[in-house]
Amino acid sequence: MEHFWQWFSGLFANWGVVWNNFDYLLVGAYPQGPLGGLAMSIVMAVIGIFGAFWIGLAAGLMRISKRPWLSWPALIYIEIIRGTPLLMVIFWFYFFAPLLMNQSVPETESAIAAFIVFTGAYIAEIVRAGVLAIPKGQMEAARGSGLSHTQAMVHIILPQALRNMIPSFVNQFVSLTKDTSLAMIINVNELTLAARHVYTRTMKAPMEIFLTIALLYFAICWVLTAFSRRLERSMARYQARTSHDR
Amino acid sequence: MNGFWQRTLVILAALALGASAAHAGKLDEVKSRGKLIAGVKDSQPPFGYVDEQTRQIVGFEIDICAALAKKLGVGLELKPVTSATRIPMLEQGAIDLIAATMTHKIEREEKIDFSITYFPATQKLLVHKDSGIKSVADLAGKKVGSAKGSTSEQNIKKAQPECTVVSFETYPEAFLALKQGKVAAVTTDAPILLGIRNSDDHPEQWIIVGEDIAAEPYGIGLPENDSDFRDFVNTTLMEMWKSGEYQQIYAKWFGPDTKFPLPLNWTMEIWP
Amino acid sequence: MNYTFNWALIFAGEYGRWFVDGLAVTLELSGISILFALLLGTLLTVLRLSRVRPLVWFSAAYVEFFRNTPLMVQIFFWYFGSDPILPDFFKKWLYQQNIEFATAVIALSTYTAAFIAEELRSGILSIPKTQLEASRATGLTFIQAMRYVILPQAFRIIIPPLISQFLNLIKNSSLAMTIGVMELTYMARQVEAHTFHGFEAFTVSTLIYLSLSLLVSFIINQYNKHFLHIGSRR
Repeated sequence: MEHFWQWFSGLFANWGVVWNNFDYLLVGAYPQGPLGGLAMSIVMAVIGIFGAFWIGLAAGLMRISKRPWLSWPALIYIEIIRGTPLLMVIFWFYFFAPLLMNQSVPETESAIAAFIVFTGAYIAEIVRAGVLAIPKGQMEAARGSGLSHTQAMVHIILPQALRNMIPSFVNQFVSLTKDTSLAMIINVNELTLAARHVYTRTMKAPMEIFLTIALLYFAICWVLTAFSRRLERSMARYQARTSHDR
Repeated sequence: MNGFWQRTLVILAALALGASAAHAGKLDEVKSRGKLIAGVKDSQPPFGYVDEQTRQIVGFEIDICAALAKKLGVGLELKPVTSATRIPMLEQGAIDLIAATMTHKIEREEKIDFSITYFPATQKLLVHKDSGIKSVADLAGKKVGSAKGSTSEQNIKKAQPECTVVSFETYPEAFLALKQGKVAAVTTDAPILLGIRNSDDHPEQWIIVGEDIAAEPYGIGLPENDSDFRDFVNTTLMEMWKSGEYQQIYAKWFGPDTKFPLPLNWTMEIWP
Repeated sequence: MNYTFNWALIFAGEYGRWFVDGLAVTLELSGISILFALLLGTLLTVLRLSRVRPLVWFSAAYVEFFRNTPLMVQIFFWYFGSDPILPDFFKKWLYQQNIEFATAVIALSTYTAAFIAEELRSGILSIPKTQLEASRATGLTFIQAMRYVILPQAFRIIIPPLISQFLNLIKNSSLAMTIGVMELTYMARQVEAHTFHGFEAFTVSTLIYLSLSLLVSFIINQYNKHFLHIGSRR
C-alpha cells in the first residue's frame, strides 16, 4: 500500500516543471528570442498547407490530363512522395537543397519546403479524386455550350470540386500539423523540440511534458477534425437533397 | 511571415532551376555581413546550453566564439547544432564555424578544416555509483547510451564489441535513459558527462569511471580550404592563451567554484 | 555543386550490410506492429458498435486521441514518459529486454490501431443494418452475428485500405530511429555519419522505401482487380 501511495503521489510531483515552462512550450523564447514552440508549429503548418495547395492543385490537374507529358511527371512526383517517409523528405531538403543551391538554407525554411512538397502530393490525390467525382455530363454540357476545356474546368468543374474537397483539405491540414513535429529532427524549435529542451534541461517530468504537448496538439487537431466532419455531413445532406438530378 | 514565405518560394524555385551562387573568402564575408554565425550546442552544459533564466544560449564555447567575434569587430549569432547536423551546416554555409564539442578527426578533414585544439577531452563512462561498472570490460552484454553521429558511439563499439550501443539524438536523452535504467552507462567525453551529471538533482549518485577510451581533442570546425579564416582563428586562440583570456573563460566555466570543476592541466599548442 | 559522388563506398565493405540489417529491422518492426494493430483495431471497433455506452465512449475517445496527436510525441511518451507509471518490479525486468524495439512496437501499433478502427467501422457501416437484424432474428448472438456475418464481409471491403495502413505503418516506422531502433532510416544516418556521403546513403534508403511501397500498391491493385472487380485506374 505504501508503495502504491509513493507511486501515486509521484504522478503529481512534477507538474510544476510544466507550469514554469508553459510559456516556452507555447511561444519559445519569444519575444526576447526567436519564435518557437506551439506558435512555430502552427506557423509551419499554415504556410505549408497554403504552399501545398497550389502545388497539389497543379499536380492533381496535370495527373488527370490526357497528355502524357503532363500526366507522367505528376504521376512520378505523386508516387515517389507517397512512397517515401516524410522523415526522408525532410532529410533530403535539409542536407541537399543547400548543396544544389550552393548557399545556406535555414532549417525552418527547408522544413517548410519539405512539408510543401510532401503534402502537395497528397493534395494532388484529393484534387484528382474530387475532379473525377464531378459527373462527366457537366463537362460535356459545358463544352456543348461553347466553353473551351480549360474554361469549363476553371469555371464549372473546379469550383464545385474544390468545395467538395474542403473537408479533405482540413483533414490534410490536421495531418500536417501533426507532421510538423518531425521538424525537431533537424533542430527546428517547434513544440516537440521545445518539449525536449525542457526535459533535457531539467532532467525531470518527461511524462508530464509529453502529456501536456499531446493535449496541445490534440486540442488543435480535434477541433479541426470535428469541424471537417460537420462540413462533410452538411455537404452530404445537401448532396442527398440534390441527388435526384444525377 | 512574408519573409518565410518568400524564402521558401525561392528555395523551391532555385531547386527547380539548379541555381548557384559564388563564394568569397569567409573572413570578408563575415566582415561585410557584420556578424559571425557560430554553430554551437544548446543542451550541453557547460559548453553550450540554454540558460533557464535568460533563455539565451551560454557556455564555454559561446564565450570562445564571442572572443573571436570581438577580435573581428563583428556581432555574434548563435545557431544550435547537433552532432549529426553540424558538418552539413558548415558545408552549406549556414554557419561560419563549429564550436560544438567536436573532436578533431582525420576522417572529418575530408569535408572541413579544423583549428588547433582548444579543449582536450577524453572519452569515459558515466554510471550509477552502485552499478559495479568500473571499466569498459564490465560493459559486456550491457546496453550503453550515446548520441547519433558521434565519435564516442564509434569508439565504444570498437573498445567493447560485446555491448549494445543505443544511440539517441542528444546526450541528455541518453542520460535520461540511464536514469530510468534503460541503459547501463552513457559514454562520451568526460566534460560532457560531467555536465549532464551535474544537471541532475542528485549528482552524487552518478560517477565517471573507466580508462580513457579515446582521446577527443576539440577543434573549431572551419570551412574547407579557407586558409585566411583558419589562420585568423588559430592566431586568435593562441593570443587568448598568451594573454590569459582563455584561462579566464576556462575558470568561469570549469573553475573550482563552478558546478563543473576540472583542473586546467594542459597547454595549448603555441606556435613561435 | 560542390560534391563528389562515391557510390562504390556505399556498397563496399560493411555499409551495404548495414542497409540490409536496417531493412530487416524495418520489416520486423512493421510486421509485428501491424498484427497488434489489427487485433487492437478490431477490438476497438467491436467496442464502438457494442451499444454499451461506456465501452462506446472509451473506444471513440481512444480513436480521437490517438489520431489527433503526433506519432512522434506518442513515441517519446511511451519511451521516456511511461517510466513513472510503470511499477518498479516490472520495470526491472522490462528494461533488460530490447525496450527500444518493444516501445516502437507499442507506439506504432496503438497509433495505427486507431486508424484501422476507423476503416473497419466505416467498412461495417457500409453493410446494410438489415443483415445484422436478420442474423439476430435467426437466433445468433450479437458476437456470433459479428463473427460470422458482418466482419467477414467488412474485412473483404476494407482489405485495400488496410493494406495502405500497413504501408503508412512502414513509413511511420522510420520515426523509431529517434529512440535508437536501428531501422532503415537510422542506418542511413549512420552511414552518413561514418562516410559523410549522405547523398548516396539517403538515395539508397529512399529507393528501398519506394520499392516497398510500389510492391504494396501493386498488391492492392491486383486485389481490387481480382476480388472487387474494380479497375485499378479510373
